[in-house]
Amino acid sequence: MQPVFVAGVGMTRIGRRSEPLPALMAEAAHAALAEAGLEAPEAIVVATMNPEEFVGDGNFASNVATHMGFAHVPALRIETATSSGAAAVYTGFAQIAAGLRRTVLVVGGEKMTHLATPKVSEIIGRSIDPYERTYGVTMPALAGLVSRVLMARQGVSAREIAQVAVKNHANGARNPLAHFQHSVTVEEVLESRMVADPLRLLHCCPISDGAAAVVLSAERATVRVAGVGHGADTLAIRHRRELTSFAATRAAAREAYAMAGFGPERIDLAEVHDAFAPFELMSLEDLGLVPPGKAGRATLDGDTALDGRLPINPSGGLKARGHPLAGTGVAQIVECVLQLTGRALTRQVPAATHALAHSIGGLATNNWVTLLERA
Amino acid sequence: MIETIAASRCPRCDIVVAPPATYCPHHPVAMTPATLPGLGEVVSFTTLHTPPTGFRSPLHIAIVELRGGGRFVCHGADTRGLKIGARVAIEAIDNVYYFSHLGAMERARLFWRRTGHAGDRVNAIARSLAKRVWRSRTVNRGE
Repeated sequence: MQPVFVAGVGMTRIGRRSEPLPALMAEAAHAALAEAGLEAPEAIVVATMNPEEFVGDGNFASNVATHMGFAHVPALRIETATSSGAAAVYTGFAQIAAGLRRTVLVVGGEKMTHLATPKVSEIIGRSIDPYERTYGVTMPALAGLVSRVLMARQGVSAREIAQVAVKNHANGARNPLAHFQHSVTVEEVLESRMVADPLRLLHCCPISDGAAAVVLSAERATVRVAGVGHGADTLAIRHRRELTSFAATRAAAREAYAMAGFGPERIDLAEVHDAFAPFELMSLEDLGLVPPGKAGRATLDGDTALDGRLPINPSGGLKARGHPLAGTGVAQIVECVLQLTGRALTRQVPAATHALAHSIGGLATNNWVTLLERA
Repeated sequence: MIETIAASRCPRCDIVVAPPATYCPHHPVAMTPATLPGLGEVVSFTTLHTPPTGFRSPLHIAIVELRGGGRFVCHGADTRGLKIGARVAIEAIDNVYYFSHLGAMERARLFWRRTGHAGDRVNAIARSLAKRVWRSRTVNRGE
């Protein structure tokens, strides 16, 4: 396999944006290409979850490529629900690793704040098992069902879950591109309105617009993609063998660590998919970053805070940095690269050499783990 | 009368799923028809305060593990006092499945399959509860 390096990264501010989606993607892509010193990549991979319904346009790889003046650069679109960004990075990685391309621009993004929340929820809900959807099941409902078992059977407490949101907001306050840049307290989280019992508003990530991009290259650069793993699980939650652990994460992590040739003990920081606060706790254990049953304690003890021994979601995570759906998987990798190249400003994790990005697709049907190391 | 739930079984791993599926979720194997009794234990439940358009708010949803295996998603009238592990009966109204929490007496009767006046009374209570839920659901939908 040809080694794959990250030659450039770029990202828009995440939040309510008025620019159309191609413009958001172009903003992120231009920044990444400029850093890579490239006018044009050999290929483009675009990640966007549902532009047909969010913005009324399809064939989006061609749409964005043409918009940017790359109509003659081969471009394709990748979709694995909410982990599409990570899947797109993998696709670009594979093209270079296989020796098919020398440079690939990967750009992910979404535009949805212009729609009413119930409509956005409905569109995101297309990722859910069709039968379960006929019972009104939404992403928050699935997360609520999982969280109830996590608390009742695994003993995870409301304070441990709330602390995830508090920590991520504190980190987001140090990220100029984050959707939310204010802090929240445990009390505010626990008193916020109920969404899907036991999950409250401040446990759930926002609806965001935005885009992020990376340029991958066969040419040596500071950061190398050390390993990528992809795991899958049943679409229907009623077919799952267990509810309080995501088999798709465990499979993705195993594959990524095996490819990279190192394990979780080498990781200095991780961007973890906290679409709902309890998912960060579950994922820390599924990724082998924390021993089973210890994620809540580690969070309360400050181990995963910015100044802790294993900072998790230094960007603010999905909760505070925001969740522009297909943009998120790429945004996580942008953060990892910024951290590994000393450009993370006031949220810099000192002397970081190994980073992990973890992305969940749907309700953990299609998960990715990407490992990056300072070469 | 205990509801019969249509299901399917995997000849390779014996998993039972409801409603019936063509292929086993875990193996590329065609499933065979099976049925499960409409009785089970609550695996988890949630009350959704932001239901999709067309559903009443708040919306009570549960995952129930039916006797003989096979997990099932259904609605409920409410979740007050409901706990993980609670025994429930499943009933279909207009092809939509609802759970109703079984008290100790009803559980005992259903378990021992007593029929006659006592059994009829329990069934009548369960039916009227389920009907009440159905009526309030259609009222909220503006039908």
